Amino acid sequence: MSTGALIWLALVGLLVYAIRDRRRTWSEDAAGKLILWAGPVFSSAVLLGLLTYALWLMPALRPTTHGVLRIEVTGTQFWWRVVYHKSGRPPAISANEIRLPVGEPVEFILRSDDVVHSFWMPSLGGKMDMIPGRTNTLPVLANREGVYRGACAEFCGTSHALMAFSAVAMMPDDFDRWLNIQSSPASGAAGPGRDLFTRHGCGSCHRIDGTEARGLVGPDLSHIGGRETVAAGVLPNTEEMIARFIAEPEVLKPGTRMPSFAMLGSADIRAIARYLKGLR
Amino acid sequence: MHVDWKHVAIALAILPFAVVFAAWIGFFNVGASSGHWKVTDWFLHFAMRSAVRTYALAVDAPPELPHHAVQTAAGHFARGCAICHGAPGEPRSPAVLRMLPQPPDLTERVNSWSDAELFRIVKHGVRFTGMPAWPSQRRDDEVWAMVAFLRRLPALRAEAYRDLAYGPAGSLVDRPVTFEQALAECTRCHGVDGRGRSTATPVIASQKESYLLRSLEAYAEDRRPGGVMAVAARAVDGRHWRSLAAHFAALPPPPVRAEAATALVQAGKELALEGDALRRIPACLVCHASQDRNPAFPSLAGQPVPYVEQQLRLFRDGLRGDTGYGRLMREVARQLSDNDIAALAEYFATADPRPAPSVESARDDEVYRPRDRSDR
Repeated sequence: MSTGALIWLALVGLLVYAIRDRRRTWSEDAAGKLILWAGPVFSSAVLLGLLTYALWLMPALRPTTHGVLRIEVTGTQFWWRVVYHKSGRPPAISANEIRLPVGEPVEFILRSDDVVHSFWMPSLGGKMDMIPGRTNTLPVLANREGVYRGACAEFCGTSHALMAFSAVAMMPDDFDRWLNIQSSPASGAAGPGRDLFTRHGCGSCHRIDGTEARGLVGPDLSHIGGRETVAAGVLPNTEEMIARFIAEPEVLKPGTRMPSFAMLGSADIRAIARYLKGLR
Repeated sequence: MHVDWKHVAIALAILPFAVVFAAWIGFFNVGASSGHWKVTDWFLHFAMRSAVRTYALAVDAPPELPHHAVQTAAGHFARGCAICHGAPGEPRSPAVLRMLPQPPDLTERVNSWSDAELFRIVKHGVRFTGMPAWPSQRRDDEVWAMVAFLRRLPALRAEAYRDLAYGPAGSLVDRPVTFEQALAECTRCHGVDGRGRSTATPVIASQKESYLLRSLEAYAEDRRPGGVMAVAARAVDGRHWRSLAAHFAALPPPPVRAEAATALVQAGKELALEGDALRRIPACLVCHASQDRNPAFPSLAGQPVPYVEQQLRLFRDGLRGDTGYGRLMREVARQLSDNDIAALAEYFATADPRPAPSVESARDDEVYRPRDRSDR
């Protein structure tokens, strides 16, 4: 800002100098020197300085390959499949939410299953297209803790505007603890909801780690209870909202591949929602 | 008198009013006893034959008629068609013979039409004649089966027809009232053993009772498309549906067809067990294997190949799937290719109808199975 003001003042000064009344003719020698120093020499020096500064900035953003956290995100109508790869650990599968450690560079691996999507976390990093049949990478460094919003930034169908996610930047220790939980089955999840989930065949599309639900067609639900939102950034994560989504997904998210399960009756849907909300 | 164009114009302007007036005072005789004028009769038939010929041009005929489904068509013919058209060994009622136009005796007439023309007539009916359209406009496969049956009709002897159409019951009860009569209406096509008298008919023996009941209701209310079953379900008093479902649910399943697993069966088994996440195809057996699943999910093991193929195609093409559970299958089948459908049908035909082993991975087994068992 202040630099801008200085440059502006300098320019105005030069302008005033140039339009003053009293004119003086320059010798050819002096004019040549002025052009040489103010032209090529000055601008080359400034640009070289800026380039050096930019190159100095770059290594932190450049993707590194060892010991780094890689988060694979696959866009699909209209949600996000997320897999965390950290060296020395089995990959942890999740969906519709990104968590990343503050101060540690993260490499996003971006893909698409169907049409072109675009992965965009406005406050955290740039925007990168997800193109079917291609793998794009996006390095991101979160500087501050917090919950950020992300969204699909490329029109991808009926519910494009409802294809969002939350990105949670956490302190590295918290993140490691969280990732540990993600890599193992959720605790405290028994009860009628679990049996109903199995009985009604939800596991043909959804996976819940540690149960016989192994479907990979829809979002992984292993720890859905701990996520910020449900239905890919559309609804607050409460038992009521989960139940509502089970009963009328096409109302909440037109064009979704999830069919309505209203025929199960509200008691069963409630029980399943309670079970899912308990998966943390 | 000199007639010029003005007189003609006035006459033409008056004519429509004169016709309406004549109709209003009841000038036109609508009685069927005296028949049409010769010219009317000729014109109506001329228009009908021409229209059928023209519209049949747009009909996509299958490479081969579905001869495997002839029995089903015969069963339907007995209830839906024979009353007007007669059947081998069954002369028509004099009441029917006084219809105008008189329904044709099909043994003589069938061969004057091509397959596509017969399809057109059977599917859409004929206006002004009493020939109704097929009860479901979404089941072209049923209409083709009827065409296949009609092709066979001219040469069909009375006994052969009775066996095809009535099966073990031996005759048709016009209005089934008692449970036994209602059951006889089912066994005409489904067989006394509930295993189906043709491969177009599903095995309903040992099928889940609530699934059978739901299916009957869905057919009768036209939520599941099927002209044959819509007519059959409504012929039977709804009081009996539950006991009919229970009756067939209690019958033993057919023996497992032990056959060498071909590559096709293997492919079907893989898809049924694992699904294909990349193509968005869920695993069939998550819902269709275990007996402890929601009873609205039917058992598919041992079902005839053509039946399963046909139903999967109906789901995939969005023709079936108007019920809550049907919508699940419409979504599931959307990505299936013709190859997938053939493979799945082959696999299910040879699969063991008893509860399949768990679909879980070994790791999950170790950790979670024991607790599950003690829970139940």
